Amino acid sequence: MSRRREPRVIEADVCVIGAGAGGAVTAAELAEGGASVVVLEQGPRHDADRFSARPLDMLARLYRDGGQTTTLGTPPILLPLGRGLGGTTLVNSGTCFRTPPAVLERWQREFGLEALTDDALDPCFARVEAALSISEVTPELAGRNAAVARRGAEALGWSHGFLRRNARGCVGSGVCAFGCPTSAKQHVGITYVPRAEAAGAQVISGADVRHVLVERGVARGVEARLASGGRLEVRAPTVIVACGTIHTPLLLARSGLGRASGELGRNLALHPATGAFALMDEVVDMAKGVPQSFYVDEFASEGIMFEGVAGPPSYVAMSLPLSGTRHAAAMASYRNLAMFGLMVSDRSRGSVRALAGRPVIRYELVEEDVVRFRRGLRRMEELFRAAGAREVYLGLPGGVSPERAPARDLKLMAFHPLGTARADARAEHGVVDGDLQLHGAQGVYVADGSVVPSSLGVNPQLTIMALATRLAYGLLGRAVPRTHEEAHVLSD
Amino acid sequence: MSRAKPDLGREGLDRFVDAAPQPQRSGLRLLVALERRPRGRRMLGRAQAVDQLANGLLAMGHYEDPANALALGWDADAVAARGRALRREEGRP
Repeated sequence: MSRRREPRVIEADVCVIGAGAGGAVTAAELAEGGASVVVLEQGPRHDADRFSARPLDMLARLYRDGGQTTTLGTPPILLPLGRGLGGTTLVNSGTCFRTPPAVLERWQREFGLEALTDDALDPCFARVEAALSISEVTPELAGRNAAVARRGAEALGWSHGFLRRNARGCVGSGVCAFGCPTSAKQHVGITYVPRAEAAGAQVISGADVRHVLVERGVARGVEARLASGGRLEVRAPTVIVACGTIHTPLLLARSGLGRASGELGRNLALHPATGAFALMDEVVDMAKGVPQSFYVDEFASEGIMFEGVAGPPSYVAMSLPLSGTRHAAAMASYRNLAMFGLMVSDRSRGSVRALAGRPVIRYELVEEDVVRFRRGLRRMEELFRAAGAREVYLGLPGGVSPERAPARDLKLMAFHPLGTARADARAEHGVVDGDLQLHGAQGVYVADGSVVPSSLGVNPQLTIMALATRLAYGLLGRAVPRTHEEAHVLSD
Repeated sequence: MSRAKPDLGREGLDRFVDAAPQPQRSGLRLLVALERRPRGRRMLGRAQAVDQLANGLLAMGHYEDPANALALGWDADAVAARGRALRREEGRP
């Protein structure tokens, strides 16, 4: 008779599940603060030497489901998620915005998150910004794709600017979303994870956490399966769940946690987005330069944001809203194509739940957001025309004008899932409290996009990292230092 | 005896389709198979959205091939090699 092998057991002060934007930051800050930390990451460690700058190759390697996670609803929305040390920061565009003050005010008002003020979060943001070398893209590095959008925005008098990014020594390889070949992008896999390890944290990749263990309302640790075989149990009085907005609610639900309010897995916001192309007289070579380097925020108050997007020919071939000979003709003019993205701060809300162990993501675009896309697409066309475009290709079927586009005709992607374990000071309305501790489970915290209770209207990685920084210092019982140097003095 | 060069475009597309979750994977395999045949292409041409998707998939594979991308000014191998060289020279991770 075979006996089930006993799991390997590790004891630690803190177990962090996930090494993305939230998990890596909490792990590094806690380890540097003197805590013994174990990080369990489901995905692999990626070797930058194997980054090939070929989109299809890298999609299959760096993304969950090859980047083909899709929502169910009208329209279906492609929701690419990173997988491995670094999480989605490994494959995002690197754009960094602080949480807009109006959003923080709304969180205070609607979700009772009174401690999350602009002033209180300022040292958290400053600390992350220093750690990730965040700075504004220069016009030279932004490339000619950004120059097209800039010319259009200036002609129309629309508010615009160059984006701030977490990059150092960037040479404009043009493939941020497919693994930065120069390691210029300061994703958390090469910044916070090494810091955590240098401070003594154990980082275990290929560890699929099955359950968070809680006894009598108090965290006891986690159980995981290892890709290398066998089981692992981490015994820890503090567990930080940071599996991302799609997978955190699934882990909590199968652990029997976080369900009291009925909000777990609900309130999913995505920032749905679409792209448009323009055929220019000039050579653009859109992939030479930083793909997301420029923004137009003229319509931000309406929930519409334009941000740069670009890629190599194979990426564009998939995104062009054309087929047959028109597609072939447009691709033949690839060097003259410009591309830009349009993102909506959504009112629509979706949900995520497990079916046979996999996430089922439901999301229906409400009419209010459809209207935003219609307006946004028309303005995108104006932007390109003002820049001198010969032709504009919007993400719509042929013959459908933006004003008449129904939801089903929109060709959407989304990159910023948020809200499925939302923070709310009131246990009956949220999954975690203002300190990101699970309502009803002492010692279990959540540190990823799932706690963000509303759409931000801007890219969320800095918000997630700032909240993670605040959580780490809260657990250490210290104020967040104003500078990196000050933090080292404290930990010595 | 010369060895046949690998078709990176076709291999890349197959890996991409294999990485998709079910039931998308089966659907994508069917679309790719149809789009690769003239009769299948004609059939797909009747539904614009599906036609665009199938067309985009095959085109993605086509332009993943270094020779086809190079004709449009994109040299993935050079970009990757520059990255490796910079990381070595400057001690980047």
